[in-house]
Amino acid sequence: MNKVGGVIVSHGQVATELLAAAEAVVGELSHIVAVSIGWHDDVELAKGEIQRAIEQVSEGSGVLVMTDMFGGTPTNISAMFLKKNEVEIVTGVNLPMVIKLASHNKETTLSELAELVEHQGKQAIYRTSSLLEPQSEK
Amino acid sequence: MVKGTVKVVNPLGLHARAAAQLVKVAGSFSSTILLHRSDSQLNADAKSILSVLSLAAPVGTVLEIYIEGNDEDEALNRISLLFKNGFGEL
Repeated sequence: MNKVGGVIVSHGQVATELLAAAEAVVGELSHIVAVSIGWHDDVELAKGEIQRAIEQVSEGSGVLVMTDMFGGTPTNISAMFLKKNEVEIVTGVNLPMVIKLASHNKETTLSELAELVEHQGKQAIYRTSSLLEPQSEK
Repeated sequence: MVKGTVKVVNPLGLHARAAAQLVKVAGSFSSTILLHRSDSQLNADAKSILSVLSLAAPVGTVLEIYIEGNDEDEALNRISLLFKNGFGEL
């Protein structure tokens, strides 16, 4: 089974930079691409870009699209490509989610992976002060 | 099963880049490798970067390592060395 592909879609350059940060941590990610949608981009233009990105990373095992914000244009346009066992969308992308997608193994199916990434994204948010004791001043 | 104790000695702690190195080394062994932070009772799978990062281990943290598998001795040596050398950041 081939790897599930990944597309990060965001307003502005967030997607590109998230991918760059993930690559700095785990190495090159050839199966994930970023699509940045400009604030004034035409919807048809953006739709074409997302479609090309999905086709680029698709290897037959499906593509997980991660968007920046539920209800935003990147999500709404991506939703046009939702297709069972082919394209899944998870919103609210953060760096741990990209790393999760980067480090999955080939046996994970698209729907399993979408669930794992959603869970990881939620689990990775902490109010740090509730976990760590404050550093003593020296 | 082998057990070891390591200490985080690099100033930045077990941060993303250090964790990535650890995961890479751990992933090259077939043994299962578990990290345990006794002061907070957190466990982590040394082959998962997100799991390792969730230990939130700053400099000075002592971690126990539990390794089980047919390459457990070599894995313990390599990982202990990685911690000892501060992930090349000293």
